[in-house]
Amino acid sequence: MRKPIKNSMSCLRALMILLLVVGQPVSAQQQDGAERVAKAWLEKMAWSLRNLNYQISFVLLYPNGDFEPYTWRHALVADQEMEHLSMLNGPGREVVRVADKVSYFEPNVPPYSLQSEVINGPIPAELFRQPANLAKGYDFVMVGTSRVSGRLAQQLRIVSKDKSRYSYNLWLDKQTALILRLDMLNMQGEPLEQVQVTSMNVTAQPDEYFSRIEAEKMPQRIAPADRPSQNADWQFGWLPAGMMEVRRSTHRLPLTGQWVDYMMLSDGMVDVSVYLQKLDSDLAENGWLQQGANTLLSLQNGQMEITVVGKVPPQTASSIAKSISLSGRTSRD
Amino acid sequence: MTDKKFEDLSAWMDGESSTGMIGETCNDKELSAKWRNYHLIRDGMRKELPAQLNFDISASVARAIENEPAILAPKKGLRDIPVIGSVVPLIRHSGQFAIAASVAAAMIIGVQQLNQPKPDQPFSSAPALQLPGMQAGGLSPVSLEQTRSLPRTDGIEQKRRISAYLNDHQRQMRLKAQKVERTGENKTDEEANQK
Repeated sequence: MRKPIKNSMSCLRALMILLLVVGQPVSAQQQDGAERVAKAWLEKMAWSLRNLNYQISFVLLYPNGDFEPYTWRHALVADQEMEHLSMLNGPGREVVRVADKVSYFEPNVPPYSLQSEVINGPIPAELFRQPANLAKGYDFVMVGTSRVSGRLAQQLRIVSKDKSRYSYNLWLDKQTALILRLDMLNMQGEPLEQVQVTSMNVTAQPDEYFSRIEAEKMPQRIAPADRPSQNADWQFGWLPAGMMEVRRSTHRLPLTGQWVDYMMLSDGMVDVSVYLQKLDSDLAENGWLQQGANTLLSLQNGQMEITVVGKVPPQTASSIAKSISLSGRTSRD
Repeated sequence: MTDKKFEDLSAWMDGESSTGMIGETCNDKELSAKWRNYHLIRDGMRKELPAQLNFDISASVARAIENEPAILAPKKGLRDIPVIGSVVPLIRHSGQFAIAASVAAAMIIGVQQLNQPKPDQPFSSAPALQLPGMQAGGLSPVSLEQTRSLPRTDGIEQKRRISAYLNDHQRQMRLKAQKVERTGENKTDEEANQK
């Protein structure tokens, strides 16, 4: 009986299952089906974001009433991706990406370029590029249809599997699967950051803005001055589901100039920085604070101070920090 | 006599009479009818007549009042119980004050938000990477006024450290993308180093 149902129209199947399984917990098969649909939506979004010519205006909102408007352009010019993210308020910050070179134009700093296939903007880049990678740490749930920015939108929820990270509400355009709205919600379901698209234009031809960009005249690509980590003897006893170490180095902090051992963890949606610093004296600062969605947490472990920074709940940051084991003395000053 | 009366009325209406005629006009039926007509004529001449003319509102209002049944003993309401009666207006007033205060607070907050310089931006205030020919540390610290307000002796130092971490986190997120792009070549190296 299940086979023919599965092969028939999805709405019919939904109706049948509803009739047959009312009162019972939703079957695993059904859940798989919904998850597959959600993943298909995300894949479609990733494809659209890479292949369409679009111009999107969006506003980034904070719960304290602050907001930042952006314009975001993307085009495929001669099979080469070009992208432009511009912050509209304030002194003006522009990020331009031509294929795998991202150039930053900011006040007070000479322009520079980095090698990267994504612009690290207000929207998680991994979500755009390889949404399949998120499946290790997050569940995707189809929610329903609504209207956002004057367009029909499909709503999805992205929830961390072990409830250790913030969850997201995502609205995608029904036609193109481009992003219309993204809410980051804390554990109580209150928004921490919201991206709201205000206008969206998908065009057949690339925006004329990109014809003015001369790829050769972009600033020099620079390499970070970080050294590879020399203390490979610190390990995590616990990490949130789907979170992995993506980077490890030793470098100086920008303002204080102190040397730190550094490790970056990422689950695709959020990046978490973990710092290890030798204490000069006994004034370790155990504590945490929240700045916007970012949590900063410091605690002392022997002669070392562990600091965790990232958009994760304080409890998670604390668990990460506490799970670190220093299997050996670090000798760096 | 009547003509004199009407003349006075006309003068008064044109603002040429030194003495008012309110009392007389109210008391004299003929005069008040004239007064109404004069006004109507004037409005007509100035093309200010309303689309719909209700000639006798006053009469219909008077009729309506007359038809209103007289209430001799008003019903006792909650208000009339002494204590509640004095509390209710108080609540109403305090409600008004609360609204006024919250409006003022909202204005103050709004003004503060408009005036304060932007704190660190999500994708870009990250400080510079180690740029050629640039010193590290030339960046304004992240504002943390919202979370820590009391200046302590080590507060500034603490703030500096917090800013340093937050800034570095932003910077590393940019670099991460770069690294991720090169994972293919680098991972093996890194793994080799770790072992």
